[in-house]
Amino acid sequence: MFDFLKIKKHFEVVSPMDGEIIPISEVEDDAFSQKMLGDGVAVVPTSGLVLAPVDGKVAQVFDTLHAYGICSDNGVEILIHVGINTVELKGNGFKSFVSNGQKVKKGDKIAQVDIDLLKEKGYSLQTPVIITNIDSVKNPGYHLGNAKSGQTVIISYDK
Amino acid sequence: MRRFSYTINSENGIHARPAGVLVKAGSQFKSDIILYKGEKHANAKSLFSVMGLGVKDGERIDIEISGEDEDSASENIEEVLQNYFRAVKAEETLA
Repeated sequence: MFDFLKIKKHFEVVSPMDGEIIPISEVEDDAFSQKMLGDGVAVVPTSGLVLAPVDGKVAQVFDTLHAYGICSDNGVEILIHVGINTVELKGNGFKSFVSNGQKVKKGDKIAQVDIDLLKEKGYSLQTPVIITNIDSVKNPGYHLGNAKSGQTVIISYDK
Repeated sequence: MRRFSYTINSENGIHARPAGVLVKAGSQFKSDIILYKGEKHANAKSLFSVMGLGVKDGERIDIEISGEDEDSASENIEEVLQNYFRAVKAEETLA
């Protein structure tokens, strides 16, 4: 009966890269499009700079520097996976500015990706940005269209 | 409680996508499923936890499963390890 006293808060995730936001279901990889790893959107980037999508902590930098796990200050886990099958590049074309456990603020630099190299080698640039513990949030909303890194809201949710 | 060990035999180890496959499998069960790699351990139902183990090709993991559905969970997890990671069952398990 005191439900109205509970503080419900609204949170936002901004785009880590400049580009076009597409539905996760359109990603050319079943594990992502079937939401096996979580739910969210994907960026088709137009430039290679990757910024922090939320305030939080770097939970996981892959050795191959192609994927980054960020744990937001409210416990939501966000995976940024740059390109499809890019684990195969073994770090080639990727430069990371962060390390495991590091605190980040929304808009901080995470990585730089050579998107021309990825294109040249035939990799899809689609970059899923997903909440992996999606069951922990309420009313998730996904926002499509053009996005500016560090600014445009691409996912919103209540918690 | 069920315990078993596997050596991963897949070129890129357990990176993001494969970790998702394992977590999806594990999350269907009520049992607690813990993966051990050396000193580190992970909750097999959390993607970030499993990714954090950073399991690479040729490395060995020990799996501990306990709960009411531990038998079916073990069977399912072993199947995923064998089929998806071409993992090879190891003789000894973690003490």
